[in-house]
Amino acid sequence: MSTSALRGRHRTGRPHRLDSRSGKVLAWLPAALLLLAPLPGHRVAAQEAHKEYPKPLRLCADPANLPFSSADSKTPGLYLEIGEAIGRAIGRAVTPVWNLTYFGKRAVRTTLLAGKCDASIGLPLDADFMGPRVIFSKPLLKVGYALVAPNSVAVAGLDELKGRRVAVQFATTPQSLLASRDDIQMVTYREPEEAMGALATGQVDAAFIWGPIAGYVNKTRLDNAFHVVSVIGPGLQWPAAIGFASGQTGLRQEVDQAIDSVAGEIEALKIKYGLPTEGPIKLGQGETAPRIMLAAMQNQQVSQAAPSTAVQPAEPAPPASDQNSGEIAAGQELFNGTCAHCHGPDAVTVERRINLRLMKRRYGDKMDETFMFTVMNGRPEKGMPDWSGAFNNDQFTKILSFLHSVQTR
Amino acid sequence: MTSKKSRLLRGVAIAFGVLGCQAGTGHANDSLIRATADANNWAMYGRGYDNTRFSPLSQITAQNAAQLKLAFAYQLGSLRSNEATPIVIGDTMYVSTSWGPKYVYALDAKTGQKKWQYEPDIPDDVMQYGCCDVVNRGVTYADGKIFVGRLDGFLAAVDAKSGEELWTTQVVDYKQGAVITSPPLVVKNLVISGFGGGEYGVRGSLQAYDINTGKQVWKTWTVPGPGEPGNETWKGDSWQHGGGVVWLIGSYDPKTNTVFYGTSNPSPWNAAVRSTGTSDYGNLRNLYTASTLAIDPDTGKIKWYLQSTPQDAWDFDGVNEAVLADLKIAGQDVPAMLKADRNGFFYVANRETGKLISAEKFVPTTWAEKIDIATAKPVEDPEKRAQIGRPAKDICPNLIGGKNWQPMSYNPGTGLVYIPSNNLCMGWSVSEVSYRKGVFYLGAEFPTSPGPGGYLGEIMAWDPVAQKKVWGVKEDLPFNGGTLTTAGGLVFYGNLHGVFRALDAKSGQELWKMNLGSGIGAGPISYSVDGKQYVAVVVGRTVSTAAFMGAIGNQIIEATPEGGALFVFSQ
Repeated sequence: MSTSALRGRHRTGRPHRLDSRSGKVLAWLPAALLLLAPLPGHRVAAQEAHKEYPKPLRLCADPANLPFSSADSKTPGLYLEIGEAIGRAIGRAVTPVWNLTYFGKRAVRTTLLAGKCDASIGLPLDADFMGPRVIFSKPLLKVGYALVAPNSVAVAGLDELKGRRVAVQFATTPQSLLASRDDIQMVTYREPEEAMGALATGQVDAAFIWGPIAGYVNKTRLDNAFHVVSVIGPGLQWPAAIGFASGQTGLRQEVDQAIDSVAGEIEALKIKYGLPTEGPIKLGQGETAPRIMLAAMQNQQVSQAAPSTAVQPAEPAPPASDQNSGEIAAGQELFNGTCAHCHGPDAVTVERRINLRLMKRRYGDKMDETFMFTVMNGRPEKGMPDWSGAFNNDQFTKILSFLHSVQTR
Repeated sequence: MTSKKSRLLRGVAIAFGVLGCQAGTGHANDSLIRATADANNWAMYGRGYDNTRFSPLSQITAQNAAQLKLAFAYQLGSLRSNEATPIVIGDTMYVSTSWGPKYVYALDAKTGQKKWQYEPDIPDDVMQYGCCDVVNRGVTYADGKIFVGRLDGFLAAVDAKSGEELWTTQVVDYKQGAVITSPPLVVKNLVISGFGGGEYGVRGSLQAYDINTGKQVWKTWTVPGPGEPGNETWKGDSWQHGGGVVWLIGSYDPKTNTVFYGTSNPSPWNAAVRSTGTSDYGNLRNLYTASTLAIDPDTGKIKWYLQSTPQDAWDFDGVNEAVLADLKIAGQDVPAMLKADRNGFFYVANRETGKLISAEKFVPTTWAEKIDIATAKPVEDPEKRAQIGRPAKDICPNLIGGKNWQPMSYNPGTGLVYIPSNNLCMGWSVSEVSYRKGVFYLGAEFPTSPGPGGYLGEIMAWDPVAQKKVWGVKEDLPFNGGTLTTAGGLVFYGNLHGVFRALDAKSGQELWKMNLGSGIGAGPISYSVDGKQYVAVVVGRTVSTAAFMGAIGNQIIEATPEGGALFVFSQ
């Protein structure tokens, strides 16, 4: 028998594995096939079959987590289907690696970071999420909390919920937000599905819960009787992306390109799985700063204690020249009245990430434009609101002057 | 058993006064009282219902401790986080391992020869739901049975002679992230157990089961429901998911028929959800979390409580064991309850009345200045409560606490308590994004830093009357092992370098040591068989500390490899 026949015969129905180190194709060849003569059609197939078969893309997925993923092949779930689309785009079959994500970070450590899978779809795109051990693709979509109410009830913000019973999930931002509002009756559930069930049976009037789950339940079980409106604000919405172990930059690059090419499919899948389409509503300042916290801030300002054990040296604003000392002082007052709530009094904070005294170091010449862009547009996924409605340009300029005066050398 | 011996034991039993026979329901309590009365035994987790971990044996002394040598070792067949205190009744030792437990062994206490093993069937997915490390701190003996709390939330009764499973009962659904990691307490004909975990909004409870059938006899919520006293200390409906789980060890005072258990911290971490989030919390104290509860074991009714950390915001569980000791304070005989709390204060209370007698810092502590003795209320530093957007820093102790689960011991001869303490501080901020089943949420960050003084742990001898440290042996790592103290004038403990030491109980001087190869967290025991005294300890360091101690946690993990072995020493 000719050697070309032998090569052709490794189409046995089992996936072949490419040993990338040696470059060899490891084929299983049952003895029986050695007896068959090659036919013209088989020769074409043989040429194609000779191509190297890439390893399947192993995707970490929770087997019982609709709308995101499920082991039920009838409804694979949003992330699994996105994964399959990406797999097709990069020419690799997709194999799920099932694991429960009840404890999310631990699930990532014991699977993705232990080499048990190549990618984990649907992790929060945030450098502080398990970085630098985990790296991310570009964002796939935005996910966040949503207000859910009967179709007949218009919802433009939290004020519409006054006097209502509103379902929230335990230990989430909505629970924290509503906890400070005595005019809204909060009813807490451990799981978002429970909250939707309570909404469906009228035990609550509205819900403020994880949007994708609300949307999915609303579509598949509640006949779209409710509308699901996304909400943005601090701790309310994030981009979701695909996570990889830090060494996988090559795969990430490949996947990033694939994400662009399957953008249309992602949009269709979002609709298929009922992701919220309404909104986002921006929760106003008054609603995002819990009243209790504001009261505490005011007490703190009264005592004006400069942190004596701060990690960064608490340099007082240096004496400024006559011409801009007034501007710096005005900026300092504006800063301490609002920005300080998160960024610390006089911009002193132990949290590196939001330490505005490091702006010059981080952005250099681009500090001013970065500042202006950020305050005008916010960074919703990081919890930074846009302040364009709260301050005018002149006020922003004063705040910027103050910040310039306190930059760390 | 010879008739002479049984007469002696009956005499001992009577000498111990009323032993629950008044309840008239079975002899289980008697079997345990008899077993603990025998100086040769180590019949329960803390040696006795008082949890003093004091052995009356004195064959091994400060003078001859240097001659200790290995009698036998037993490889447990399970690595990682071995925290068990073995128990010894007669010539049989019962010891459990990590992972479920994977095994419970009955061994010949003289030779280590295995008599039987119990290998419970733990479902595979328990590990994925299990919130915490895969530990088991030991088993409980009574009435010819061994009781085992399991990571799948079940309590099992096993025949002490054969290892055959007699009954199992579900205490909690592990799919809620709840597990059982500590041995139950047997009082009369009841097996009492709590559970741990509940990171995702479980409401804590303590429950009791019939010793013969496993049927639930009572269940007491540690977070009261509407209409029950204490429910008004919760904002809105937060009591439903309030936490306060009972995951560690109970004590029992037969004289007043009272069981003492501690409760964990409240949830969620954002205190503003369940209270005010500030030091001005008024009555929103979140009862009975971070508290000691005195409970009637017959009915489960709460007699009184002592809360260490109202509206806790720092993970200061109140679960540490209550050591019952009779002290002389200001000339008075006081039936005391001693507790080295997570929050950095050492509490001394009257265990009969619940009245707080004193509370002093036993490690550097900054979240509160002091505890007001009249009200038991901490005088807080308001800056140490973090809020969204305003982190807090330099909070001491850190969340693992001044002392964690590792047990302390009390020696009535020296009058001292031997505490494995930690010296760590932390910042607290809310900004970290986490995820669970597809849902993103904000979690708390608590970067750990060393406490003042350049050491991270200290085995200290603490005078509970004067409320002062008498001596201390500093350790470079925190989270060191529990202590044993003996009438021979000794203190035994192991550290996270795997070194097992004997110290002079009066002075702290090191008398003997041996490197056992893996970090030690468990509490050692001492027992005697055929006239020979032994000291035993389980070895096998924890894995989970990096998750809540960052770089310092990594140091712990790097100090030794994982292990799983029992070492027994004698002259």
